[in-house]
Amino acid sequence: MRFVRNLIPLSVILLLGVGVACKKPAPAPMEQPAPVAAPAPPPAAAETTNDDAARLKAEADAEAARKAAAEAARLAKFKADAEAALKDINFDFDKSDIRDMDKPKLQAIADFLRTYPDAKIQIAGNCDERGTVEYNLALGERRAHAAQSYLAGLGTADARLATISYGKERPEVQGHDEQSWAANRNCQFTLQ
Amino acid sequence: MKRLLLGLLVVLAPFLQAQAPPEQEVVLSASAGSKLGIALPFPQITGISQGTVTTEFHQVLTRDLDEAGPFAVIQKNLPAATDPSTYKAWTETGTEWLVLTSVTRTAAGDLEVMLQVVDVMAAQAKNAAPVFNKRYTGKEGALRRIAHRIADDLMARLTGEQGVASTRIVFVKEVGKGIKEIYQVDRDGANPVPLTSWHSLTLSPSVAPDGRLAYVTYKGGTPEIWGQRTPGGPQVKIYPVSGKPEGHCYCPSWSPDGKRLAFVQGDRRGNTDIMVMDMATGRVRRLTDSNCINTDPTWNPAGTQLAFTSDREGGPQVYLMGDDGSNVRRLTQEGTYNGSPAWSPSGSMIAYVSRFEGKFDLFVYKLGEGKSYQVTTGVASSESPAWSPDERRIVFSSGSRGGMELYTTDLSGNTLHKLVNLEGCQSPKWTRSR
Repeated sequence: MRFVRNLIPLSVILLLGVGVACKKPAPAPMEQPAPVAAPAPPPAAAETTNDDAARLKAEADAEAARKAAAEAARLAKFKADAEAALKDINFDFDKSDIRDMDKPKLQAIADFLRTYPDAKIQIAGNCDERGTVEYNLALGERRAHAAQSYLAGLGTADARLATISYGKERPEVQGHDEQSWAANRNCQFTLQ
Repeated sequence: MKRLLLGLLVVLAPFLQAQAPPEQEVVLSASAGSKLGIALPFPQITGISQGTVTTEFHQVLTRDLDEAGPFAVIQKNLPAATDPSTYKAWTETGTEWLVLTSVTRTAAGDLEVMLQVVDVMAAQAKNAAPVFNKRYTGKEGALRRIAHRIADDLMARLTGEQGVASTRIVFVKEVGKGIKEIYQVDRDGANPVPLTSWHSLTLSPSVAPDGRLAYVTYKGGTPEIWGQRTPGGPQVKIYPVSGKPEGHCYCPSWSPDGKRLAFVQGDRRGNTDIMVMDMATGRVRRLTDSNCINTDPTWNPAGTQLAFTSDREGGPQVYLMGDDGSNVRRLTQEGTYNGSPAWSPSGSMIAYVSRFEGKFDLFVYKLGEGKSYQVTTGVASSESPAWSPDERRIVFSSGSRGGMELYTTDLSGNTLHKLVNLEGCQSPKWTRSR
């Protein structure tokens, strides 16, 4: 019984998650001036049985699992929503005007950012391989800002919309035809 | 005896030349009437293999002289011997200058090259001594550098011009998806050496007259100007100096005296402007402030004006302005897409890129004439022209299907040389100072 009484407070400590105490091996009770029972366990703990401890643990586990599942679901929905919302928009050659057909995409991005107020995105402006390196870096800069400005007009704070330009240095598609060029003249939106 | 030995080697020379690797793509420009005929019999060699002397010396010197501009390297029907009795025969091949060399490698590995240049016409008349002799020495592996020095000495002695054989070309090379680094090669494409290893997108090198490098790198997440504050010094962030920049930075360009650095900075509206930083004080001045793209700054040799690309009137065109941003005027008048200006070392010309019939070609604007001349007429798109220090050639990147490679051309576009067999190269700069 003495053994059990000693064990109970230890299990409570474990349940409470105060693991720090357990990390150090207990010093061998070579010289103990005070009796072991000196720090009297609280009455509640004293009355707790092994069954109660297991029940408490199960409840805590279940609660943690529920939280983890909710968090995972929230994250999965966030990811799915991000994937659904963050679609490339495209541009005409040497242009940075937002095309009418891309405005619903930007609306979807603005809605996504409204749904997730902590989310931040980076807008990367890209160009096709035609034209000079430096002019395309500037053009990519302008495309990224065009998208940022449009999103700001839909109510998204600038601070949540970082921009960058890769010019023609990081083409999305490796082809060298009209179709590839059209795909590579874009803004790409990624979570930050 | 020496002559006899040399003669024997001359007989071997055509055979040795036939071993030239085909990918070298040396375009021979002999028979150009206005050029100086120069002949380079295979050297007399001691203690070193013919193969080494062929690839590391004879081919190197031949290519240097061929690409130098003023010379026609005579390679056909060469006499078998080089003694004075053969000078008439040499003259008949079109040879004016006979360049005789010997290459010796000592047991310790040291190299010695003796040079004799004979004016074969004058020598027939007067039985004169060689025009000049010179001795070159170097350690193991120095043969290519010696060949370049000889080419530059021949250029100086025979034409009075400073050659470019010993120069280098700095450029951007793609090393992985989205990863580019700055590299350097000798003018003939040999000895590629990486100058950066940031494992990031690194672009737009510029080389100061004392060799200091400046470039753009995305290593910190956004494009910043990095480079050297002292010759040979460490590569550090140059701009923004600290804190959050107002906008991204691109396209650094050293002033001709190396005291100022022009660059491009984006603003909060997506415009880009030309800035100039005084390196001593760190003070930055904005030269353009308009609602458009301004990029590609390039200095005139006096450092008093810059050419740049702007789309202020719609499409990209080349403009000029004072180094305080004053007196902006448009240079290019034809075509809907002109950019990448490069001011020539003498200041008299500006090379640029123009979209012509759906492709991009190099053009040269002659400021004295107020007229443009087309340089390349490509099946491929040509980009990023940069001048050789002697203004005789332009280095540029060209490619039809994404794989850009580096080429040089003379201003007529007639002698085009691939610089090096490296794919994914762009933005070359040609320098004496590295």
